[in-house]
Amino acid sequence: MLLPFIFLILLAGGAVLAAQSSINGRLGAKTGVIESAWLTFIMGAVLTFLLMFFFEPAHEATLFSVPKWQLTGALFGVVYMLAIVFAVPRVGTAAATVAVISGQLLMSLLIDHFGWLDNTVRPLDGSRYLAMVLLIGAIGLIYLSHQQRHRRMVNQPG
Amino acid sequence: MQHALILIGVLIAGMGLSVEAGLLGPLGEQVGHLSATLSIFMVGALLLSLALVFTPNRQLGTLFKQPRWLLTGGILGPVYVIVLTLATPLVGVGMTMVGILCGQVAASVAIDHFGWLGSEQRRVDGYRVGALAMILAALWLM
Repeated sequence: MLLPFIFLILLAGGAVLAAQSSINGRLGAKTGVIESAWLTFIMGAVLTFLLMFFFEPAHEATLFSVPKWQLTGALFGVVYMLAIVFAVPRVGTAAATVAVISGQLLMSLLIDHFGWLDNTVRPLDGSRYLAMVLLIGAIGLIYLSHQQRHRRMVNQPG
Repeated sequence: MQHALILIGVLIAGMGLSVEAGLLGPLGEQVGHLSATLSIFMVGALLLSLALVFTPNRQLGTLFKQPRWLLTGGILGPVYVIVLTLATPLVGVGMTMVGILCGQVAASVAIDHFGWLGSEQRRVDGYRVGALAMILAALWLM
């Protein structure tokens, strides 16, 4: 009985991500890409620090004792946030979301295939190749949707 | 053409996000998920603070003249992390990602379609439905 409830929460979690892209894109259009991304990371850091401070159970390792390369994830997070803030006002939330998801899934297929980042090797098979083709197709369709819309707007101004 | 370049850029950024997730998962196991998340936000905030200092014509003041709801983007990120952390041990990574991605895609199409959150309206058309179907099929195949 718990399962549908968890799935609902997961859907809400995903919806929150889409809302975040949209809100940040809008903020970025009004103030600037760097400004918007900066505020997002500051707020995130403050909130996560408070949560960690009060709710994180103690662990043997700390952020200061793990190998440094494990801490480089933020570089990718920053690039992602800048890209989203720049893209959403220009291409819309859905197109940006589909592009991000396709990129994520393509990369996770590659990571699995080559076993990068200490992951177990899971070679590409038929169905995973098909998944890659579908993802690239999805990006293509979103692009076509934009072209079509653009054409309509040119033909019927106002 | 410019539109295609932006989409490719976002696609590459999305690839980076998978690398981030690949680093974050094992890190979270070792130091705790909240600490791991904090490392992302903290390092990101510091890097962007540096970038901000050297940004020409920055408009920091205008941030706080915006309606307050526009400033909530930073609160939503940690909400997502908490959902992820709570759900993964209960239903597994696969199910978690499928649920998150479904919610994400559906909400993003709805936001564009209805023009929610002050975004420009972009109606659902055949191409978008097709793209949704292809993403869902790809998820199922993986």
